[in-house]
Amino acid sequence: MTIVCERKRGGDYLYHLGRNSYCSSVARKKGAKCSVSQAAELVLVLGDLHIPHRIATLPAKFRKLLSPGRIQHILCTGNLCTRESFDYLKTVAADVHVVRGDFDDNLSYPEQKVVTVGQFRIGLCHGHQIVPWGDPDALAIVQRQLDVDILITGHTHKFEAYEHENKFYINPGSGTGAYHPLEKFVIPSFVLMDIQSSTVVTYVYQLIDNEVKVERIEFKK
Amino acid sequence: MSYRERMQRLELLLGEAVINLEQLKELVFHGLPGDGSARPLVWRLLLNYLPASREEWGPFLAKKRTNYGNFVADLLQPCCAAEEAADAAEEADHPLNPNPDSRWQQFFRDNEVLLQIDKDVRRLLPEIAFFQSATKYPCEQIVSGAMARLHERVGYVSLQAGSIVKRGIGLITKTSTGTSSSSSDGGCRPNNKGGESHWEVVERILFVYAKLNPGQSYVQGMNEIMGPLYYVLATDADEEWARWAEADTFYIFTHLMGEVRDFFIRSLDNSTSGIRRMMEILMRRVGGRDTQVARLLAQQEIHPQYYAFRWITLLLSQEFPLPDVLRIWDSLLADRKRFDFLVDLCCAMIIHVRGELLSGDFATNMKLLQNYPPIDVRDILALASTFSEKGVVAE
Repeated sequence: MTIVCERKRGGDYLYHLGRNSYCSSVARKKGAKCSVSQAAELVLVLGDLHIPHRIATLPAKFRKLLSPGRIQHILCTGNLCTRESFDYLKTVAADVHVVRGDFDDNLSYPEQKVVTVGQFRIGLCHGHQIVPWGDPDALAIVQRQLDVDILITGHTHKFEAYEHENKFYINPGSGTGAYHPLEKFVIPSFVLMDIQSSTVVTYVYQLIDNEVKVERIEFKK
Repeated sequence: MSYRERMQRLELLLGEAVINLEQLKELVFHGLPGDGSARPLVWRLLLNYLPASREEWGPFLAKKRTNYGNFVADLLQPCCAAEEAADAAEEADHPLNPNPDSRWQQFFRDNEVLLQIDKDVRRLLPEIAFFQSATKYPCEQIVSGAMARLHERVGYVSLQAGSIVKRGIGLITKTSTGTSSSSSDGGCRPNNKGGESHWEVVERILFVYAKLNPGQSYVQGMNEIMGPLYYVLATDADEEWARWAEADTFYIFTHLMGEVRDFFIRSLDNSTSGIRRMMEILMRRVGGRDTQVARLLAQQEIHPQYYAFRWITLLLSQEFPLPDVLRIWDSLLADRKRFDFLVDLCCAMIIHVRGELLSGDFATNMKLLQNYPPIDVRDILALASTFSEKGVVAE
């Protein structure tokens, strides 16, 4: 393990969202300006597909939503796991960035990646390296190491989005809702970020009872 | 009338308080005298954009130009105008919304049109550098950065990315891999900050036109019609007029499209004003004037669709170099029965090369008509005007 967990309990989380209450306390600004920006850059964030080992395919409803020509970039948190899944992502958007998860066939994906979109630096990491898994303190260390504004991790198969010390943390969950040893019920989910000059509008897509639910969260730099 | 007399007559006509459009048409039909400095004004008049009475020009132009400014502000930045109304619905809307009423859906549909426009305007009149050069009067909102450039909406950009590699005891090396690159900029990189190229202006005009005419939207070829219009207006020697080239081009383009619109709508191809009917008239006129050529074309099965389709829809803007196109358009626009002369002109073009046609086979004739050889356009114009003076023969 390269990352040592640093224990610091400061209670400085502005918005830390629990398992099922993520949308209640997030900084949501109603009536936000310019919902459809003219230079909208749409970035799809998804990962932990585990095709074909744990699940056969992406949910049909998600596939239908992800039509080509709308999304410019894809940030993938890894565990695709095969070449075919990567090829599928390539059909959705031409610019695909992947980091390596613990089950990926392709070993040449980097462990961590830093991507710049507009004014934002976005860090990408699968998250199995960061222990305890999904721990906010541990993630904050990685955020500082990479010096990013938004840190995206996966691995826990559980959607999370919160702001902490003025940085934004996203876990898109599992796009397919694949099995996870620590989660009893995995909800398929992915995240779409609309990045404007200094704001990120995040749309969360979840498949609950075979219905797609969309939530909107906004983050300002 | 001598050249000098025609010069004086033009000045006289344009100097009057109420401009006599009929006399102006008659004069300009035989070519605009002078160095073309009067052309922007004359075209504005011929296309019925400017009212005849000079007194009305001031308030009329001011109103039209602010209108266009509003179009640009509203259509290119719909979010701020429609913001309040959409506020309630906003929560429900999201980028992947399959609902056709969704504003995002609308946004993506616009992008498809814009993508086509973008491809076409970048290669507009490539033989001259004008459209690649910076305009003197760019749109203020774009230069100040308040509004994004249109082509950025559809350009493909790959993100700047760096991967992090850790070695040994946590030494971190950052390697920058892909740099931010834009693919579609090939050759005609727009002027960054503080300027705009002419093709970006043309793109904006076409996009506003497409948005305002959703039934017709944008059809390839409109850019070729826009090219000469914008070129003439934007190269006006008079700064006061050139400043408003963008707005005025939009209006005269709209007026011109109002007349040739039917050529661009597929469902009207067979109607009386459609393109197929125009080609039929053309072939009948060729037949009436030169039976030998008409018979040859029929024999070799060189249908007018193969060459005259482009001649007529694009008003011959593709067949000749720009200076000749301007001269031809003077006559076309000054034509009383507008675009009747166009058919005569096409007819003259065919008959002008009859010698080559009669001696050639299918392949060479097709090549000849599709790639019309460079000639002095005055010959064709003179030939065409003798046709139109003689009237419609044997139709």
